[in-house]
Amino acid sequence: MVSASEGSSMTLTRRRLLTGAAALGTTALGASACSSPATANPGRLTLWYTYNGLSEHVLKEAGKRFAADRFVTSQVSGDLTQRLLAALAGRAYLPDITMIGDNISRYFADSDRFVDLNRLGARKLADRYLPWKWQAGASPDGFQLGFPIDVGPAALYYRHDIFEGAGFPSEPDDVAAAVPTWEKYFAFGERLRKKLPGRYLITDTKTVFTYSMAQEPKKYFDPHNHYLDDQSHVRLAWDRSVEAFHRRLTAGYAGSQSVNGQSVDRHAAWNTGRELSLVNASWITGEIKQSAPRTAGKWRVCAPPGGPGNQGGSFLAITSACPHPEAAFEIVSWLQDPANQTWDYLDIGLFPSSPAAFTDKRLTAPDPFFGGQSTVEVFASIAKRVRYAYFSPWDITISDTYTDELTNVELGGKDPERAWHDARTRIERLLRRQGVLS
Amino acid sequence: MTAIPGVDAPPARPAPPSPSDAARRRRRWRHLPQYAAISPFFVLFAVFGLYPVLYSLYLALQRWDGVGPKKFVGLENFRYLLTDGQFWDSIGNTLLIWVMSTVPMTVLALLIALGLNSSIRFKGALRIAYFMPNVTSIVAMSLVFGSIFSGEFGILNWFLGLFGLGHVPWLADPWAIRSAIAIMIVWRWTGYNAIIFLTGLQALPTDVYEAARIDGAGPVQTFFRITLPLLRPVLLFSLVMSAIGGLQTFTESQVLLGDRGGPGAAGMTMVLYFYGTAFADNDFGYGAAIAWGIFVVVVLFAILNWRLVQRPDRGQVTTEEGGR
Repeated sequence: MVSASEGSSMTLTRRRLLTGAAALGTTALGASACSSPATANPGRLTLWYTYNGLSEHVLKEAGKRFAADRFVTSQVSGDLTQRLLAALAGRAYLPDITMIGDNISRYFADSDRFVDLNRLGARKLADRYLPWKWQAGASPDGFQLGFPIDVGPAALYYRHDIFEGAGFPSEPDDVAAAVPTWEKYFAFGERLRKKLPGRYLITDTKTVFTYSMAQEPKKYFDPHNHYLDDQSHVRLAWDRSVEAFHRRLTAGYAGSQSVNGQSVDRHAAWNTGRELSLVNASWITGEIKQSAPRTAGKWRVCAPPGGPGNQGGSFLAITSACPHPEAAFEIVSWLQDPANQTWDYLDIGLFPSSPAAFTDKRLTAPDPFFGGQSTVEVFASIAKRVRYAYFSPWDITISDTYTDELTNVELGGKDPERAWHDARTRIERLLRRQGVLS
Repeated sequence: MTAIPGVDAPPARPAPPSPSDAARRRRRWRHLPQYAAISPFFVLFAVFGLYPVLYSLYLALQRWDGVGPKKFVGLENFRYLLTDGQFWDSIGNTLLIWVMSTVPMTVLALLIALGLNSSIRFKGALRIAYFMPNVTSIVAMSLVFGSIFSGEFGILNWFLGLFGLGHVPWLADPWAIRSAIAIMIVWRWTGYNAIIFLTGLQALPTDVYEAARIDGAGPVQTFFRITLPLLRPVLLFSLVMSAIGGLQTFTESQVLLGDRGGPGAAGMTMVLYFYGTAFADNDFGYGAAIAWGIFVVVVLFAILNWRLVQRPDRGQVTTEEGGR
């Protein structure tokens, strides 16, 4: 009898414990389910940026300057787009201010999730920035979604010492004058390769295609997302890439990649002097300096064959979840004022989108890595001549499909005509599935 | 009856005269604590398992870029999937890489296990050494392998060159790409399987071996006639595990070759294709459809595995008899 009563009292406490635990669990679930905040840090203004997306120095200054607005920064590890999409889809934990890449047009159809910066007085600041870059941040109906951060003007990087040693034009102006077009660049490469066998002037067919397209005033879509009927310029870029390969001017590294997608083989080729030149956007400078430090002083940059073009560059945007868009805009416009863009360039190599920064003494100073050349002047003159081209939400996928097929030609020996046909078919099938083509 | 407190023996049954409502309610609530106690798993599973699964089925019927409104497209994504050459290629790649990694891995692991089983010294240290690759960060590992397989300047090609074996474009040729990925998988999982095999070997009855020795069987004969058949359940377990891992091959390929599977998309596995579509191209509806395509492939594989495990029952007399 005694033992039974003991048993029953034990059961009771255990039961109570379990009931209590269950009740607690339910409350916790209920509480978390019904009160997700709209922004990541309620009561604060949160900025999301990527690794090397903004100068840490400027961000620290901003933290002090906008302490009253309780401005906090949060570096997103991994893919910012994925984080942003998840927050947008869940309508919770959104940043107040966020960085957006060059595929900003994917948000144009959902511009209600962002703030029109023109409403906050952005228009007054427009003439501080490169017009084509400013326009790239705006939807076709004039909703200013993005505020310019950096641009990626493409130049020709080349090995001055090797060009000179081979008795070829080697000073930037002379090289630029010798290779104004891709055709001339190819002929130049052939002549140089006769003197220096086993070396390359072009990384791969992909760079020829990418930078040829970057120089075009139109890509694959018009600003209203209609697939262009006339894509002869794409075919031109394709033929040009295949030609570079057929004339055996490309190195075609199918290299392994480092963690951020940089080619290990290419780094080795820079160090050994096998890659004599490359057409690339300004953001590669840091990579060259870092991976081939012993080539310091031997590089130069000049205007690229084929004319000015841009590749890459980001924006800042304010989400509609932000409770104080005016304060957020204050921060955005301060972060990207010309003086701070100078810091972005000095710290992490982001080329300014504001021409006012181009003349800053610290930027125009001679760069010892480039033999004392003022590289900013070269990039600046290219950046000023870039023409606006609409970058559609599908551009990256389309471009990747073409360059995948070019790689198949270059490394897999695929017939170029078949590769072109396959790329076109794949792209059109994909666009049809996504409802862009009918 | 009194042995288990709280669980009163069959209570209600011998009380047919209508019990009061309160009693019935009490009985209904009596098991609540027990249900509550096991509920965390079910709650977590519902939130993080069941809901995403059902949602992905719903997503597979939509067209969605991740931000805007979803558009219902019915079975359009699945129809596209059936005629999507890239998807079929990715199934082929996955299976090829699985075979190319599992066969050498099993043979190697078995050899290592046999060696470990017979040697006596440093067994513990060797076991840890063989298990190390399995716990190494796969991303760090891929970076190292990236340098090894690098076409122009890789260590492996330099090494092959020493023997005049020429230059293999490890990351350009389709078969070389698949081999490179398979080698990474072999490197990672051989030790793990060797340890499993070793455990299996150590559990084998010694009397069968004694009998074999008395009957005059040599080591090779013993291995093929006794060890292998007795190890069959362990081998099957390792096969099932490698199939589970092999069908999900993703990281090796992604870190070595990027989101698009490298030249000729030879390293494009099913999961990588799903990942690229959903999270690089942000085509979530079609990504979900691919995920369900993968599910079907996995189900087919599971049936195959089940048949493999079921069938040997008849031929397994040796195990049963020998084990007792």
